[in-house]
Formats: sequence, structure tokens, C-alpha cells
Amino acid sequence: MITVSKRNPGNAERSSTFKPQLTSLVDVMTILLVFLIKSFSAEGNLITPSGDLKLPDSQSQECVRLINSIKITRGNICTDDKVIADIRNIEHSDSMMIPELYSVLSTNKKYNGKTELMIESDRDTPFEIIKKVMYTCSQAGKTDFTILVLREE
Amino acid sequence: MSIRVTKQFSDNNVEEIIDVDVTPVMNMFIILIPFLISMAVFTQMSILSFSVPPDAGSGLDQSNGKPKLKMTIVVTNEYLAITHGEKMLDSIPIFDNNLTKNILLEKLKTRRNEIGEQNEVVIAVRDVVKFQNMVRVMDSCRSAGFQKIGLSSATADASRGV
Repeated sequence: MITVSKRNPGNAERSSTFKPQLTSLVDVMTILLVFLIKSFSAEGNLITPSGDLKLPDSQSQECVRLINSIKITRGNICTDDKVIADIRNIEHSDSMMIPELYSVLSTNKKYNGKTELMIESDRDTPFEIIKKVMYTCSQAGKTDFTILVLREE
Repeated sequence: MSIRVTKQFSDNNVEEIIDVDVTPVMNMFIILIPFLISMAVFTQMSILSFSVPPDAGSGLDQSNGKPKLKMTIVVTNEYLAITHGEKMLDSIPIFDNNLTKNILLEKLKTRRNEIGEQNEVVIAVRDVVKFQNMVRVMDSCRSAGFQKIGLSSATADASRGV
């Protein structure tokens, strides 16, 4: 409620009251509140996928855990948001091993002593690239793989 | 926000306007909405676990010491093939992803019962197959009751080894 004073030259001070209509605002707030409660998650998002990859859809209901991950985007292979190899070079290579990835996995302390690894890959990535990444990872001692996917409703 | 109330008296109608104070409700909304926005998750993510074939299960059959045969699904861009050892059990052409997924699920359930409720399956994928198609097949295997999924590469021409 807003009170406004109008000063007229001839009359004494006269006050009038404006009542803003809050009904529509309360309606919007209520709809917004219901939508947000529906998408509320106490855990929050543990992992934020990279912007330049589109994860595959899956019916899997297994909850996301924090595991060391490798990102296979449309153009590169990344670990810790650092580009370590170009996809085109890997495609043209006859070797199953990706030396840059192997050196990161075997020298970085973060990956030492852990056999579990998560692959975050674009849905259009050909299996040839996944195969070479998995082969390199297995050579570096990573044998348990998980794939990050978007949960289908 | 106002509510118009009409009171009926004996001689005349008197209309009275009652103002509902929505300020506390608005205050609550203003506190709740930023909190809920910060905790909202708009894309639900999950994970799919699998192993490379040697870790998918025990390799030898305890009764005769020979390698245990596992059901294998060969994934190509044109068809899906369900095999058990050297025997081809089913072949499903790929024409519509959802339909193919349903057919594969039905076939896998039937074949799994026939070969004795195995929990292990190997998915052999051709190099050109997209990651999404591989994940769809893995989903079908999970839905059919296979707990352990092994991933392997399928050669385009098995007889020539390429």
C-alpha cells in the first residue's frame, strides 16, 4: 500500500492511497514455488558436465558418485578441464594407445591407486574413440568403468 | 488483494471490502524462492557401471574347466545380434530406436531364461557405432536382468579378423 500526497494550490493537503494488485504476483510466485519444490534436490548437482558435450540418455537409476573422470567432447579428450588430446589425431592413429592420456593417468597423483574411472562422453562419439580411451585406461590400471548419463524420465 | 463481502441487513445491502494483508506471504516467497533455486536440479544424472570382459565374471566353468560361455550382443549400425558361443540366437534389424530397444528387451528376457538365468552379458560394439546406441543396449541388458555387463570390440569381418 502506497500513500501519495497531492498538493493543490487552492486546497489543503489531500492524501490518496494506491493499492497495487498483488494477486497475479502471488499466483506467479505460487506456480514458481511448486515447480522449484518439484525439482528440489537435497544433494545438489555433484557433477557439472562440460558444456561442449551432450551426454547420452539412459534409464539407469544409479546415483552419481564422485569419481575421477575423463571427458570426451566433440573435439578433445580432457581431464580436470585440461585438453590432453585431439580426437582427430586419435581417429587417424592406428595405435590403440593414447600416449598423452596414459602419461596423465600414470603420473598424476589424483589417479594413483584408484581403479575406478568415469567416462563423460558425447552421445555421438564413435565407439572407436571410447575403445582407445578404455584400452589406455586399462593399461594405466583402471579396470572399473562408469559412464555418466542423463536420466530419462 | 481484497475480498468483497456483502452483508445482508433487514433494510438494505451494505457492501464491505476486507483487505487481506499478503505482505508476510510475499516475504516468505522471497526467502523461499532463492533458496529453492540454489538447490534445484534441472538435469537428473546417473551412472552406468561396466567392466572390460575379463572382470565381468569368473572365466572358467567349474564343472569342466572350460571357458564359460556368455551371452554376447553384437551391436552394429544396421542390426543387433544375440549370440551364445558360436550359436547365433537372434538378429534384430535397427529401424526405429525405441522399437528395436523393446524387441531386444523381449528377446533378451526369453534367451536369458533359456540359457539358465545368467547374470553376465558381453556387449561387442563395432567401431562406427555411436555411444548413445551402445548405452541403449546396456539399458536393455540391465532391464532384462543382467547384473554384470562387459564391453568388448566387435570386428567387422570376424572370419578375416578385421
